[in-house]
Amino acid sequence: MKILRTGAVGLAAALVLAACSGGGDSGTDASDGADGAEIRVWLVGTDTPDAARDYLTTTFEEENPGSTLTIEEQSWTGLVDKLTTALSSSDSPDVVEVGNTQAATFTSAGFFAPLDDIADDLGGDDLLPGFVKAGTWEDTFYAAPYYAGSRIVFYSDQVLGGTPVPTTLDEYVATAKSLRTADRSGLWFPGQDWYNALPFVWENGGFIAEAGDDGEWEAGFSTDGGITGLEQVQDLMTNASNAPKDGDEAELQVPFCAGQTTFLSAPNWIRWSIQAPADAETPGCADTFGADLHAFPLPGATAGETAKVFAGGSNVAVATKSQDVDLAKKALTIMLSEEYQTILAENSMIPARISLASALPDDEFTQASAAAAANAELTPATPRWGDVEAQKVIQDALVRIAQGGDVTTIAQELDASIEQILNG
Amino acid sequence: MASTTLTPPGAAPAPRATRAITAARLLPWLLLAPSAAVLLVVTGYPLVRMLWLSVHEYERAQLLGVPAPFVGLDNYTATLTDPRFWTVTARSFAFMVVCVVLTIVVGTLVALLLMKLGRGMRLVLSVGLLLAWAMPPLAAMLVWGWIFDTQYGVVNHLLTSLTSTDWMGHSWLVSPLSFFAVATLVVVWGAIPFVAFTLYAGFTQVPGEVLEAAHLDGANARQRFVDVQVPYVRTIYVVLIVLSMIWDLKVFTQIFVLQGIGGVKSQTSTLGVYIYEMGMAQGHYGAASAIAVVFTLVMLTISAYYVRVTIREETP
Repeated sequence: MKILRTGAVGLAAALVLAACSGGGDSGTDASDGADGAEIRVWLVGTDTPDAARDYLTTTFEEENPGSTLTIEEQSWTGLVDKLTTALSSSDSPDVVEVGNTQAATFTSAGFFAPLDDIADDLGGDDLLPGFVKAGTWEDTFYAAPYYAGSRIVFYSDQVLGGTPVPTTLDEYVATAKSLRTADRSGLWFPGQDWYNALPFVWENGGFIAEAGDDGEWEAGFSTDGGITGLEQVQDLMTNASNAPKDGDEAELQVPFCAGQTTFLSAPNWIRWSIQAPADAETPGCADTFGADLHAFPLPGATAGETAKVFAGGSNVAVATKSQDVDLAKKALTIMLSEEYQTILAENSMIPARISLASALPDDEFTQASAAAAANAELTPATPRWGDVEAQKVIQDALVRIAQGGDVTTIAQELDASIEQILNG
Repeated sequence: MASTTLTPPGAAPAPRATRAITAARLLPWLLLAPSAAVLLVVTGYPLVRMLWLSVHEYERAQLLGVPAPFVGLDNYTATLTDPRFWTVTARSFAFMVVCVVLTIVVGTLVALLLMKLGRGMRLVLSVGLLLAWAMPPLAAMLVWGWIFDTQYGVVNHLLTSLTSTDWMGHSWLVSPLSFFAVATLVVVWGAIPFVAFTLYAGFTQVPGEVLEAAHLDGANARQRFVDVQVPYVRTIYVVLIVLSMIWDLKVFTQIFVLQGIGGVKSQTSTLGVYIYEMGMAQGHYGAASAIAVVFTLVMLTISAYYVRVTIREETP
């Protein structure tokens, strides 16, 4: 019996048996209408504001009497694994949010239902083009843009004091280094935070990977520009940051609110986490470091320009295996409606509909974010990109760089790994 | 099989006797049937499915019903020619050896301690061991993760107050050696209770008079342990070592959770985690199954020895 049990060990990991889908297990008999159905919407993280969630549930249930809509919140950690399992099971959620760089993993494998028939209802040409591209596979539109955002640099006046805000990338590095003390980082830069490392690579002329004419991918971290950028990253990680050398970019408001850093480069909507009351469920520091919070877009190589930053954000899609694809599409349409997207915009998230950008609040955080987003870059457009993220090759390389490893060697090895994955 | 005597001699006609014999022959199989059925469903089907997957190109798209092309042994050749597979395998075996040695040595020491302790302390120690054993690995890992946390960990705090140097901000997981030191600590911590209890049970079966005689013959404590106690529980040791080898080779939760907390993934993956990464995280189910089949064969080889020992035990 032991033999069999040990045999099972290997396959437990290898097979798709995992019946996890830890989300809500709400009963299926909730419908009181004749043809009522239950639509389950998976939102990821706490980014979507409560007002939007309430609007979605209420509107959907008003428009579709007898049917109910349940929002189940998922975590960004391990999302691809979890979606793979859930979306291929018979108990699939109906509408799912997915990170923009993860979308291709699913669109290319048939996990999402085509949206071409409702593309105009969703916003048509008004949708963010980069995200439409991320959600399109072989000319079929599968995943609609949800919201976008970009990283901006936060600081608190009481901490920065009289030090001027840097206007070029070199100044930014120098200022962050000069502000570092034993108890306070100049810039909080955990070793795995690859989103914040990319701008340095891009600004110096490096790139992640580009497809040649023959379709072969060539990675660009070990180009001259890439190495210069990674050396800047290493300089910051070792001389400006006290953050864990192998830490990730989760819960960034914690070190900021603990007064452990002067600069914090984070998604613009983290502002709400920082300015949450100290006794909130996810505590912030509205009364201390959040009281005089400011932000600026990451400066570029020359003064007056912003750096190329990573285009963050999400796409939303309808699951192929949804019990009721038509109803799920209605829920999706509400999520891209002007009303819903306006709520997102009012909460500083760049809306999926370009025309609603005017609803963004007129504060410095949103302006900084809009300025940064104007110069945003995406990861390589190939479904294999998901494997690069899953293997954490960039994070691994950055952790080694944070420990003071030789940048050229690490960059060359990183490029070799990325090329091996992308070219199969 | 002697139950045929239940039929009164001569009373029953011949056909009925035959039927009774058949029923008696079937009875053991009937009794085995429920567990056999459970095994077939729970391990048999997945095993067959794994073998099937390992000879097909099975990616995410196939989950949605796209037919999977047959690729023969391609997945196996790819696995066996991938240097990463060999690195991971070597790493897993090295980790297993260290863990097994530590588990058995410390487990023995704890078992001997249990023998020597008075009732009260023995109870306290037993309860402590049971608690460690009963703790689900995932819950235990979260606690261990906080103990070794870079910024807020109690280990760094204690080291800072005990030594004059500042340990706060020291990352225990960032260097692979230190990562595996923590992993070894956690795995051994979880494995000791079973080994200690089993050995304690074994040691209590060593007849007191034999030990006393050895004592009178002038054997010191070490000699009594090596020459009397250990030979008595030799087979228990064999079984424990083989089981520990299997358990420590297939370790998953501990490594997977630690990688989520910190460290460099490519330098710390063991076989179980590697299979998960290949299959679940990247969606290469065929390739992952091929690795799993190779892994299963390795495990079977180790288990074969265990089964032989067990069978020899049962049929003297």
